[in-house]
Amino acid sequence: MCGSADTVEAVNTVDTQWLTSAHVMIVAGKGGVGSSTVAAAAAVAAARDGADVLFIAVDGRPGMGALLGGREISDREQTMQRVDGGGRIRARSIPADQAFGDYLELKGVGGLLRRAASSASLPMIAAATPGLEHLLVLGKIKELEKEGVADLIVVDAPPAGHATPFIRSASGLSDVVKSGPVLEQAEEVAEMLADPQRCKALLVALPEETPITELMELATDLGDDLGLGLLPLVVNACWPDRSGLDKSPAMAARSHKLKLSDSAKSALESAADFGRSRLAQQREQIERLTEARDEPIITLPRLATPRLSPDDLAILADALVPDDE
Amino acid sequence: MNELDPHSLQRVIEESELLLTCGPGGVGKTTTAAALGVAAAQAGRRTVVVTVDPARRLADALGLDDGAASDEPHRVDDIGSTAEGGELWALMLDAEKTFDRLVREQSGSRKQAETVLNNPVYQAISGSLSGAQEYMAIERLHQLHVSGEWDLVIVDTPPSRHAIDLLEAPDRLVGFLGHPVYRALTVGQRTFAKITDAATSMFLWAVKRLAGPQIVEDTLEFFRSLANIEGGLRHRAKQVSVLLRGEDTAFVVVTSPRAEAVGEAEHLLDAIADKKFPLGGLVVNLIHPLPEPLSDADERLLADLDPGPLADQVEWHRELSTLATAEREELVEVERLAGDAPVIELPLLPVDIHDVPGLVDLAERLT
Repeated sequence: MCGSADTVEAVNTVDTQWLTSAHVMIVAGKGGVGSSTVAAAAAVAAARDGADVLFIAVDGRPGMGALLGGREISDREQTMQRVDGGGRIRARSIPADQAFGDYLELKGVGGLLRRAASSASLPMIAAATPGLEHLLVLGKIKELEKEGVADLIVVDAPPAGHATPFIRSASGLSDVVKSGPVLEQAEEVAEMLADPQRCKALLVALPEETPITELMELATDLGDDLGLGLLPLVVNACWPDRSGLDKSPAMAARSHKLKLSDSAKSALESAADFGRSRLAQQREQIERLTEARDEPIITLPRLATPRLSPDDLAILADALVPDDE
Repeated sequence: MNELDPHSLQRVIEESELLLTCGPGGVGKTTTAAALGVAAAQAGRRTVVVTVDPARRLADALGLDDGAASDEPHRVDDIGSTAEGGELWALMLDAEKTFDRLVREQSGSRKQAETVLNNPVYQAISGSLSGAQEYMAIERLHQLHVSGEWDLVIVDTPPSRHAIDLLEAPDRLVGFLGHPVYRALTVGQRTFAKITDAATSMFLWAVKRLAGPQIVEDTLEFFRSLANIEGGLRHRAKQVSVLLRGEDTAFVVVTSPRAEAVGEAEHLLDAIADKKFPLGGLVVNLIHPLPEPLSDADERLLADLDPGPLADQVEWHRELSTLATAEREELVEVERLAGDAPVIELPLLPVDIHDVPGLVDLAERLT
């Protein structure tokens, strides 16, 4: 059920305010489904709505800064773009060692411990405290949320198989760490993750069998098991549903009162044949997801380019929010 | 099937003893690794494929659906006609089990091994230590290679945005063992109280302040027990490093034509060349098919149609042509970086591959 008409139908069930329904939006999906792009589009959509958005690239992918209309994202916060109506997008990454330093400072840890920590270096401490690097990054995000530095913090979570360990680091750590500030930090992060007013997840897939299966697993894992609030499920890169493809080119031409040359028929059929099977698969997979999950589903259009530009991002941002009418 | 065919991996699967598929996530690495396994078995080689995190249906198809036992090789049947001796086996990497096996092998005694294996810090990190999965994929490759049971071992590497991590994994562990704090902790020291080295006692104090006193004892204990097998681990890291650069090894980079994936693949090809790993080939997967072009006369005839089925068809033809053309342009540079290695372009198929017949079909396209 992709396509202009169907997209409207699908998103009508979505609350128009969903983008900013929690302060932190963690965007996650398996590798290759475009979750970083969707995170960027969500940031643009919220900023257009007047929100002050902070985009956090956990695993800083090159090129994201340019896509957001600014310079390469670094560990120093930079303004990427301002939008008419007061909204803006700032962006930064959070390297684990920086989060560690900030954390020590926050805890009022004196110079002695800070020196000790730096002399030992983070990798050693991290080796002794598994999951710590992820937790430090989530802890920093939690601090930013607590300070209210932005209306919305969009977190582009690590890709592939790493999203779950990243989000689970808070609960996993308590198996080895029984006391001390690290445990405190883990508890505070777990508290934020469990509070849907403060934090929700935006899960992303492609309209293909394996990605949809993995999205359903991720939704079970993070939503049902871990208790993380889920935003609408996003199916990225959906081809517009063109019903005319169901006909043969000759039949299609007849309803336009045209007669096609053999070469034109053959050229159109070479494209239509591929399109029909992709569209059939797409419909089938979105239907499967609809049956399996209660969350609303948003479909984003497949753009005819392998390299997205800021203009393309604007199209995706439009598709993320339903019209107010 | 020509040996010199620049668009076939036939030679690589016939001559290598170790094959590693690597590349960004979501481009079909696991499927490619399995299909290369099929092709090798068909060519008469006794082949084992080590998969990492396969999609469920593919795992089922390979017989890897029974949990713990999947860490051992399972025979895959019905892979088409195979030359004499050709067999395909598959297993799913279990990083923790592989680490356990490594510790057992490198320990002087059973008791020594048990001390490490039972340590809570070891138990927590063996599966989750940053880079552990990458390192264990390579360790498993080594275990299978030296067992002498296989003509060809194919390892599908964990998806990584920093795919270079994989290549550096053995060196990273050695780096860890060489860290001054680690050295001070394990050289002749016996208790927390007796550690006099300033940086080290500060490290322990920091860990204690941050994560509590219990973990300090566990950490000390873990590092100390690790010291017993350190020599073995270092030796193994060196062996693996040599093995990965050997003439019987080949890396196959897999990518899709999406700009982000291509960027990562280029980075990976640079790193492979830079570190002198042998490149066996480049597979570009999931390419949209380029439709036959419309003639200029037909373009004019179909330029301004009213909405309707033919307009749908023309618009779709235009969109698919635009995307397919742009994808081919995106690939020029990465294919140049592959140098003399074979480059195989694979079309985006109408449906995902998740059964053995699909792999047999893909094997044919790869060779």
